[in-house]
Amino acid sequence: MIQVEALSKDYKSVRVLQGINWAIEDGAFVIVTGRSGGGKTTLLSIVGGLTRPDAGRVLIDDTDIWQLSEPDLAALRNEKLGFVFQFPSLIPTLSVLDNVLLPIAFGDKSPNLEDLKFATSLLEMVGISGKDGQYPAQLSGGQQRRAAIARAMIKRPAIILADEPTGDLDEKTEAEIMDLFQSINGQGTTIVMVTHALDYAKIGKTYTLKDSHLFPYEDSEASPRDLTRGGELRHDA
Amino acid sequence: MRQIFYLVRQNLKRKPFRAWMMIGGIVLACATLFVAAILSRGIQSTLQTARERLGADIVVVPADAREEALSALISGSPTSFFMPSSLEEKVRTAPGVQQTCSQVYLRSLDAACCVAQVALVGYDPVRDFTINPWVLQKTSEPLQANQLVVGAKVISALVGTPAKAIGQRLMFMGKPFSVATILEPTGLGTDYTVFLHMDMAYQMTQGSPLYPVPVKKDQISTILIKVADGMAPETVAANIEKNIPELKALTSNQLTRSFSRQLQDLVDVLFVAGGLFSLLALVLVGNLFALSVRQRMRELGLFRAMGARRSVIFQLIILEALCIAGAGGLLGVLIGFSVIWFGKDIITEMIGNMYMWPGNPYFLKAVLLTMAAALVTGILGGLYPACRISSLEPYEAIRKGE
Ligand SMILES: Nc1ncnc2c1ncn2[C@@H]1O[C@H](COP(=O)(O)OP(=O)(O)O)[C@@H](O)[C@H]1O
Ligand SMILES: [Mg+2]
Repeated sequence: MIQVEALSKDYKSVRVLQGINWAIEDGAFVIVTGRSGGGKTTLLSIVGGLTRPDAGRVLIDDTDIWQLSEPDLAALRNEKLGFVFQFPSLIPTLSVLDNVLLPIAFGDKSPNLEDLKFATSLLEMVGISGKDGQYPAQLSGGQQRRAAIARAMIKRPAIILADEPTGDLDEKTEAEIMDLFQSINGQGTTIVMVTHALDYAKIGKTYTLKDSHLFPYEDSEASPRDLTRGGELRHDA
Repeated sequence: MRQIFYLVRQNLKRKPFRAWMMIGGIVLACATLFVAAILSRGIQSTLQTARERLGADIVVVPADAREEALSALISGSPTSFFMPSSLEEKVRTAPGVQQTCSQVYLRSLDAACCVAQVALVGYDPVRDFTINPWVLQKTSEPLQANQLVVGAKVISALVGTPAKAIGQRLMFMGKPFSVATILEPTGLGTDYTVFLHMDMAYQMTQGSPLYPVPVKKDQISTILIKVADGMAPETVAANIEKNIPELKALTSNQLTRSFSRQLQDLVDVLFVAGGLFSLLALVLVGNLFALSVRQRMRELGLFRAMGARRSVIFQLIILEALCIAGAGGLLGVLIGFSVIWFGKDIITEMIGNMYMWPGNPYFLKAVLLTMAAALVTGILGGLYPACRISSLEPYEAIRKGE
């Protein structure tokens, strides 16, 4: 369960997020959309413990993550969260398999045989089995994104945060990756995804980020004032 | 930790040229400092030995023959200079003087033997405390009138190999002598000097074409002084010069420093260069690490997103810097060592053929100090970039990284 309460964030004098309230149930598939520069990445980063909000709280399973010490927050990112980014994010100096195993290493534990088996099965699941020993440069953009998804899953996180994971991919690959996320969600992993691919909006609960506020997608044409004035904006999937 | 090492290794492979450039900078600094440290220590022990072999704390010469005396004392040029032997009594009673003896310097006839530059020095085998201890170490008897003590470098020219020299008969200025013993090298004029009994020296000037007027026994060339315990030779020498203006008092420090000056200058240059190279290496490492960290900013931010703690990022950078510094330090010591090894003949020649190498403990100390200097350079170079990147929020690092 992710609970976001009265979250605000400014960059210098620019208001990016203001008074955002949001709740995401375990196992949900949540999509956030909105115009470029609207603050979607910022929102995802605050929820994922990557950047500190100016005000408000983020509770993950009732833990206020921004009250945690730096090592504890790092451990939370390591164990509970998986990130998939909108740009190629594999480490070029490491093989695909080593890339997938990287979060294990940051958990202060050498990967064991079980981890290795799991990594291999994940690569199979994302559809790039047999690429274990290759280096990122040898993979296509779609294959790299698949490997990044496998890496996000290696610690069996409860939540995967995906920021425009198909933004730079062709339509066919996009469809395949979306299917992949759906099947991951089908196994119980919560997915919070920023995307412009609104064809997929039907997959789950969809929100739009507009004028620093978050609205349910179908309400997005409404005036933001009307909604926020009414009190808390809370959508439980 | 093994994982971190692996990440560091993989990253070093990414930019080998850059890594080698940093290693090169550190090698240059470390090799220079290592050579300077070894030579500097060597000079110290060489001077120490030279002073011991010189045997006197102060050598007093006539002030008006100062230049000649210096060249005789330092390089063994055959010259003559004299002062009244009565001055020895005055010197002996000067404050701080414990013991004195005198020597007489004569020119030899080049034609007498095959050596061009040999100083001939008469000493008193009973009262002398400068070369006598060395002679008595090797022969049990004091020098006889028909015996010679030969400087370390005279010997090969005069009589061949040292082994053959002892006991060898040879004619010297028309008189037969036998070689009693050979002195150890001192780097000073004694290396080119033939010592003989003082009485014999005076006697030899009678009828010599070089000395139309024979040198009399009341003429001496140098007064050698041992200072009393706890007295500084410099003070005693200054005092003598003040009270007896016709004398010039040279301390053993002054004398030995003169022959080590060339090498000492080199060492000074090396230390300055080593310091500059260290600074350069520091700037190089600092800048290249800052560059590397800027280029890896997104990657390091991603590491954080994957759960790497701030301290892990810090360790990654510092460990990489330490690897480069360690490799540079090790290579630097190795190269410095080879320079010393292959240059040892030249070095020895620069310091009167008697350069004393520091002992193994000092070599080890120099290696450790050089390595420490390298590692400190690495840590300092990596510190700022490491602090900067690890203090960034992961999101900032990911966003700012290209
Ligand atoms: N670190 C930052 N410093 C200054 N401005 C930023 C920073 N991060 C984001 N912004 C600005 O905040 C706004 C929201 O950015 P972002 O969250 O990336 O939007 P989105 O992901 O919806 O495109 C943009 O105008 C962006 O330029
Ligand atoms: Mg974005």
